Amino acid sequence: MLDLPTRPSADEEWENLLRQWRAQPPAQPRPFFYGRVRARLMSGAAERQLLPAWLRWPSYAVMLGIILLLSGDGAMLRPNGPARQYQLYPAGRPAALPAR
Amino acid sequence: MYSLPLSAAIAHGVLPVAPGPAAYADAELVAQLQGGSEAAFRTLVERYQNRIYRTILALLRNPEEAEDVAQEVFVEVYQTIGRFRGEAALSTWLYRLATSRALKHRQRARAQKRFAYFTSLLGFNNQVLHEPVDASHPQAQLEGQEQLALLLAHIARLPDQQQVAFTLRHEQELSYEEIAAVLNTTVSAVESLLFRARKTLRNHLAHSLRHA
Repeated sequence: MLDLPTRPSADEEWENLLRQWRAQPPAQPRPFFYGRVRARLMSGAAERQLLPAWLRWPSYAVMLGIILLLSGDGAMLRPNGPARQYQLYPAGRPAALPAR
Repeated sequence: MYSLPLSAAIAHGVLPVAPGPAAYADAELVAQLQGGSEAAFRTLVERYQNRIYRTILALLRNPEEAEDVAQEVFVEVYQTIGRFRGEAALSTWLYRLATSRALKHRQRARAQKRFAYFTSLLGFNNQVLHEPVDASHPQAQLEGQEQLALLLAHIARLPDQQQVAFTLRHEQELSYEEIAAVLNTTVSAVESLLFRARKTLRNHLAHSLRHA
């Protein structure tokens, strides 16, 4: 009788592969990781301190827009289009044309 | 962001009834951190940086991106520790932040790639599209690791939830209960995710090895 070497089953191969994965030297972040996290925190805090100054400019622009609207100068910009002309009929609807 | 109500966590048996020494140590650390202790933050980073980095690396497969996302996780921890109420274990919270941030990062990168592809089709720019370098997982760069490289490549193609569950189980060796807590789901759902992930991976690996 032949004495053939037994080939590992699919299950064994799968388990071996997972074992091989776990047996690898563990990956690590580069040295001084904490220092980089801290630097990132500090730069984030510095950006947040600058943010209110940035936020002032849009608020000034909005305030200027409100002042211009309330001052009445905006009326000059309104178009005098057909929509306004229909308001000349006192009854709201134009009278029908006489039949020829 | 995942959330785990305390009552649901207890019902699912996610939280330990009697916390071990590690849980007590973490609770003390969180209390100090909430009090503004920088030393406590340093301890937390040094205690968890390898686990968080490895988890993210397994999901992104790029050391630079993994480091960047790991930094983001710890910055978020520092900024939001005041809202941490201890409803889940500290490690569970960290794994949630890490996996959700890694998946978001990957979605963003894929969207940018698609956008760049379409703009190049429409001729909006004349830049040559380079495929991002598929920086292999450092573990797979070693010689004679073809099967492992193949396994990692197929893991990266799994659906998000399956990928996270499989990585936490086989990379981080978390228990089913811990994975359920991280994914905010039940243990049976985790079993199902892992079953489907293993089935898909084994089929793909068998197919790839037959054609190799």
